[in-house]
Amino acid sequence: MRDAVINFDNAATTYPKPASVRRAAFLASSQLGGNAGRGGHVLAMRSSQAVYSARETIAGFFGAEPENVVFTLNCTHALNLAIHGVMHGGGHIIISSMEHNSAARPAVSLALEKKISLSVADVTADSSETAENFRSLMRHDTKAVVCTIASNVTGQILPYKEIAGLCRERGICFIADGAQACGILDIKMSDGINILCTAGHKGLYGTAGTGLLISDGKYKLYPHIQGGTGSASSDLRQPLLLPEALESGTLNIPGIMALKAGAEFVASKGTDNIFRHEERICRRFISELSGREDIKIYRTPGAEYVPIVSFTAGDMLPERTAAVLSGYGYCLRAGFHCAALAHRTLGTKNGTVRFSPSVFSREEDAVRLAELLRNVTV
Amino acid sequence: MPSYTYVVKGGKLLRARGYHCEIIRNEKTSESGCGYSLLISGDCRKAAAVLENYGIPFSITGNSYA
Repeated sequence: MRDAVINFDNAATTYPKPASVRRAAFLASSQLGGNAGRGGHVLAMRSSQAVYSARETIAGFFGAEPENVVFTLNCTHALNLAIHGVMHGGGHIIISSMEHNSAARPAVSLALEKKISLSVADVTADSSETAENFRSLMRHDTKAVVCTIASNVTGQILPYKEIAGLCRERGICFIADGAQACGILDIKMSDGINILCTAGHKGLYGTAGTGLLISDGKYKLYPHIQGGTGSASSDLRQPLLLPEALESGTLNIPGIMALKAGAEFVASKGTDNIFRHEERICRRFISELSGREDIKIYRTPGAEYVPIVSFTAGDMLPERTAAVLSGYGYCLRAGFHCAALAHRTLGTKNGTVRFSPSVFSREEDAVRLAELLRNVTV
Repeated sequence: MPSYTYVVKGGKLLRARGYHCEIIRNEKTSESGCGYSLLISGDCRKAAAVLENYGIPFSITGNSYA
């Protein structure tokens, strides 16, 4: 048994975090004692200024305006705000067949309540076919399309720019789930994204409890959570201007400052370099497992992937495989990855095991993991 | 201005154009309650045009632009 813990579950949350991120969270906890946007005393103003600077950093990273950057609890929170906000009043929504439950459940929930109608577009390995599947479902009353940029199960990159183009031509709001793509691909609002939802604690290397909703300002988002915003306090109606409209309640200032540091860390490394490093590890991992017919890798030639590898090992249940690997210090996530639709699409009855490196992962650890996997599944 | 976010953005835009601006907390900027104001020294008409041009929402209070 190994003593060291090696994290290959970075698609769930990246670990370790960069030193600058840990330092930022600590400094915010020790120095930013005021409540951002609440009051005019020196502590409140210092915190307010710090939060604004984080908005600027994130806006610069994604090509947005600072006032359109909304800090959320996580990507699920952001997707709920986006889907419920855009679909307020009804209409038709299209989601992909590879969506995480964070997008699928709010859409299904609204559909079951008969508040909206829902269609699911099939994702295949062929990008043109996938885009056509979306196009064929678009109707006169389609208000939004929700599409993950990259699947959290297989890492497959969906043709999000093409789908965004189809939406733009028809005046449909394009909501992108960037949870597995931001920090790894160079995602910009100019890709045609109207609302980008992402996690702060994955590829952006922030701490848990942070997420982002970034709007291009074209579509109104009805706020389904109301409360204190630090502004217009005598008015019992919720302000409708971003970001405060969607940020009721006290912000997670240490988390936001850590997220700012994480985005700066990613920018300093470069998303291309991060992608290359992680994908090299994935390819080596796959290569080390080649020739083993009983180990199935869920990648299809012709499709593009972010650095995630889903696999199953012989007849061993994925959860059992992950448990065995965990005994040797390797952390991989098994099961359905909160993505029922995606696993249905893939036909993986018992789920898969997911391997996902980070910028801190080492190729030699992936080689040792593959060797272990070959031995334990004989 | 409707929020701290807009008051900072507005202030940055104006400072970049040579205006002296100060962010102040007003306990009652309007009928709707507390918020933040931008105290501007200089030609306020031109400053207002800059804010309008960038889509910064604001209202005028007394001799200042709130």
